[in-house]
Amino acid sequence: MTLVSRIQLRGLTRRFGAVTAVDDVWLDIADGEFLVLLGPSGCGKSTLLRMIAGLLPPTEGTLHLGDTDITHQPPQRRDLAMVFQSYALYPHLSVARNIGFPLRARKLPRAQIRAKVAAVAETLDLTALLDRKPRELSGGQRQRVALGRALVRDPGAFLMDEPLSNLDAKLRAGTRAEIAELHRRLGATMVYVTHDQVEAMTMATRIALLDQGRLEQLGTPAEVYDRPASVFAATFLGSPAMNVLDATVLTVDGTLSARAEDIDLPLGIDATMPDRPVRLGVRPEHLTIAPPGEPGIRAVVTGVENLGSEEVAQCRSGTARVAVRGTRPLGVRTGEALTLTARPEHLHLFDVGSGRRLTWQPGAVPAAV
Amino acid sequence: MTTDEAVGEGSRARRLGGHLVLGVLSLLCAFPVYWLYATSLRAPEDVYSLSVLPWPLSTASYAEAFATSDVLGMLLNTGVVAVLSALGQLLIALLAAYAFAAWRFPFRRLLYLLFVGTWLVPFQATMLPNYVLLSRLGLLETLAGVIIPTLCSALGVLLLREHLNGFPKELLDAARMDGRSSWSTLWTVVVPALRPALAALGILLAITAWNEYFWPAMVLQRSNAVVQLGLRSFLGTEGNDWGPLMAMAGLACLPVFVLYLVLQRHIVNAFVRSGLK
Ligand SMILES: Nc1ncnc2c1ncn2[C@@H]1O[C@H](COP(=O)(O)OP(=O)(O)OP(=O)(O)O)[C@@H](O)[C@H]1O
Ligand SMILES: [Mg+2]
Repeated sequence: MTLVSRIQLRGLTRRFGAVTAVDDVWLDIADGEFLVLLGPSGCGKSTLLRMIAGLLPPTEGTLHLGDTDITHQPPQRRDLAMVFQSYALYPHLSVARNIGFPLRARKLPRAQIRAKVAAVAETLDLTALLDRKPRELSGGQRQRVALGRALVRDPGAFLMDEPLSNLDAKLRAGTRAEIAELHRRLGATMVYVTHDQVEAMTMATRIALLDQGRLEQLGTPAEVYDRPASVFAATFLGSPAMNVLDATVLTVDGTLSARAEDIDLPLGIDATMPDRPVRLGVRPEHLTIAPPGEPGIRAVVTGVENLGSEEVAQCRSGTARVAVRGTRPLGVRTGEALTLTARPEHLHLFDVGSGRRLTWQPGAVPAAV
Repeated sequence: MTTDEAVGEGSRARRLGGHLVLGVLSLLCAFPVYWLYATSLRAPEDVYSLSVLPWPLSTASYAEAFATSDVLGMLLNTGVVAVLSALGQLLIALLAAYAFAAWRFPFRRLLYLLFVGTWLVPFQATMLPNYVLLSRLGLLETLAGVIIPTLCSALGVLLLREHLNGFPKELLDAARMDGRSSWSTLWTVVVPALRPALAALGILLAITAWNEYFWPAMVLQRSNAVVQLGLRSFLGTEGNDWGPLMAMAGLACLPVFVLYLVLQRHIVNAFVRSGLK
């Protein structure tokens, strides 16, 4: 058993011809962490995970497990277990032999293999299915067998590539909880790939958000959600996505406020600075409907969506679209004109050019982080 | 109701016609085989008889075939040639196809094309160089000389690689993650999963090798070590010895028939799956 299973990625890069699938990614994954690699389709999540697994050599950069450089070690020597998106169960082997496969590869004594397989089957509720072939199992059962094959090895870390993407919504919620529970019980390091923000938010201890092969933001789910580092991060997480509007930061009576033709929102900062165009972000659930005449975002409701416990009002403000989310009923009707406000701490400012988050530093103009 | 019947009648007539054509065709195919066995079972004086049923039955032709030549030895030799040739081709094709399908290496495409290109080189172009080589190696008139040049078949590589291309790559990755080397992945994951294809290809190769006449005739020259050559001894300038000839030919066909009957499903499967139909 590896005790030190801290994984470090130092400038990992992978190119396929002219395509750069993973671009200079630095990550330090602590022992026992549940790190989620999150990002849209094609952003390089699988490529990054396959490099960690050793299935794909990096074009540049190095990879360290504990204190050893494992960049050039084959997968067999890395002590990592992987769960594949397609489960990759061996079609000709029974469930028991599928789970025992990695142990047989390590030439463990037969009695020991049988005992370990039985124990893993017990935890995953597979005992009744041990003699079946993979094609005789349902999707959820196959997923558990794939998990069992990884668990049986006691690996230094688990790598999972969208293991829930083939399950239906209900099964997915259940399995999500099971995997999180497994992580708590084993205390093992897990690197988990998904494009599903709910999985990322609920399971991760930290999220690494990827976009076009680059690491966009790294932080706890709360950090990434509450302080998105860029417009991309802001709009990727959250449903509906964060509203992002063009505005200008102006100094009015010694305090800053964000203004545009239909926008007037105080930023709650007492300071003066030269005018500056920004992108103003605010989450749908942080917008409230203000009494007429108050400053805020002037908008017209174009539709109301019922989510059951909540409602989302789709609005139009000038040419921009704005979503408002709140407990049902919101009490608005299509065609109604509204003024929307938000507390200053719920407003996010981003640079117009780079899309990076802007923070207020007293004594200076807002700087890009 | 009436329209339904009309449609039914029409299609029944067409089905009947189709079956009739198929029936006639299969009779045409089966008749020579039947005639072979019928002739072999006639009494020696009836060999030229044209009666459809061989009567009275007689095993005299078989007795003569066994008396004049070592039929069992020939069948055994032919069996050895067929089995070794098929196994050798399977093994080499499996290794080559696995390398082409699972590995990335320089000039992979070019090598594959060259490999498959050898399939297009006609036998007549390679037989003389092969013959000269065998003579230098002193392998003429030996079974090894018959087997060795057939060991590598481009057809096998081609078919197995097509099968392997359809094989999920994630399974190979999974085996690597589970601690298997490339070599042991081949035997623990790829071969078991490809077993039906391998069995079918093996049978096809074995039957081909069993039926081969020309190449053994060249290598073995005057000796009649394999059964297809043994048939020659009943063909003579002053007339053919039809009874024993048919008896031995009938015996030579038997293993192929048996193999086909037992493994029919596999053989048909292989043709369908390799897209040859
Ligand atoms: N073997 C390959 N050859 C060429 N390009 C590749 C290869 N593998 C991946 N790519 C490219 O690299 C990029 C990243 O692919 P990757 O599979 O890592 O995406 P992903 O984030 O896992 O997406 P998804 O969520 O759809 O699985 C894509 O643009 C893809 O086309
Ligand atoms: Mg992927």
